[in-house]
Amino acid sequence: MDASSSGIQEPFDLIRLSLSERVFVKLRGDRELTGVLHAYDGHMNLILSDVEETIMIVDQVEGAPEGHATVNVAKRKMEMLFVRGDGVILVSPPSRT
Amino acid sequence: MDDSTPPPPPPAAAEPPPPPTTSGSPTDFLKGVVGKRVVVRLTSGVDYRGILSCLDGYMNIALEQTEEHVNGRVTNRYGDAFIRGNNVLYISAAEPL
Amino acid sequence: MASQILPLELIDRCIGSRIWVIMKNDREFTGTLLGFDDFVNMVLEDVTEYETTAQGRKKTTLNQTLLNGNNICMLIPGSSGPEDV
Repeated sequence: MDASSSGIQEPFDLIRLSLSERVFVKLRGDRELTGVLHAYDGHMNLILSDVEETIMIVDQVEGAPEGHATVNVAKRKMEMLFVRGDGVILVSPPSRT
Repeated sequence: MDDSTPPPPPPAAAEPPPPPTTSGSPTDFLKGVVGKRVVVRLTSGVDYRGILSCLDGYMNIALEQTEEHVNGRVTNRYGDAFIRGNNVLYISAAEPL
Repeated sequence: MASQILPLELIDRCIGSRIWVIMKNDREFTGTLLGFDDFVNMVLEDVTEYETTAQGRKKTTLNQTLLNGNNICMLIPGSSGPEDV
């Protein structure tokens, strides 16, 4: 495997190639977004549209063994969103074929 | 605003084949692992296993064929993934160099 | 002024030896130091990662690893780590 085979020289190329595409974004605080990527910068500040946010609310029961936490999932939709870059953990573009 | 400590710049794309040695500085290590299977562990403890496409001076990482592991279980798969460098704890070779 | 060894000179003398790395959180690493840079990002070989959790200490062995210097707190030269003391 060679990085050149995928046409990517630096990590930001992955984001550049995803402009106007629907991307998956993992954020700090157990939040996830999917939305259409309109703009980004070197901080990974993002502009997304047609966004669905998924928030995992983990309730660890006091004294319960690990893995027995209940996870509540909250979802909401937003038309247009600015994401501050320092909260971003991961961005995954749609699969390139 | 980014508090990550940048590693030295990654190898240039149009460089002659890297020397066979994998010892030495962070730069040498990174030259040796691009294109190989790696484990990227974040400070949160989440692991990303995949093929290292490339990375930059902030330790921003592009991975291919990525699996997300939480507590030893696969929790997600991504064709490509951009990981923001400030979250990275370490990059470890998943195959012998 | 008396001659003084710089902190990073000490680390430079550890290249090729075992080193114990203690992070700012409940994580520790031991390994053979292959190199480091000005940010104290470190390349280690034959690594063991120790994670102290409520359930006890979890050990992970790793191949050659680049450890981000950002979260490093202390370095103990020549030590095989928490199981050595």
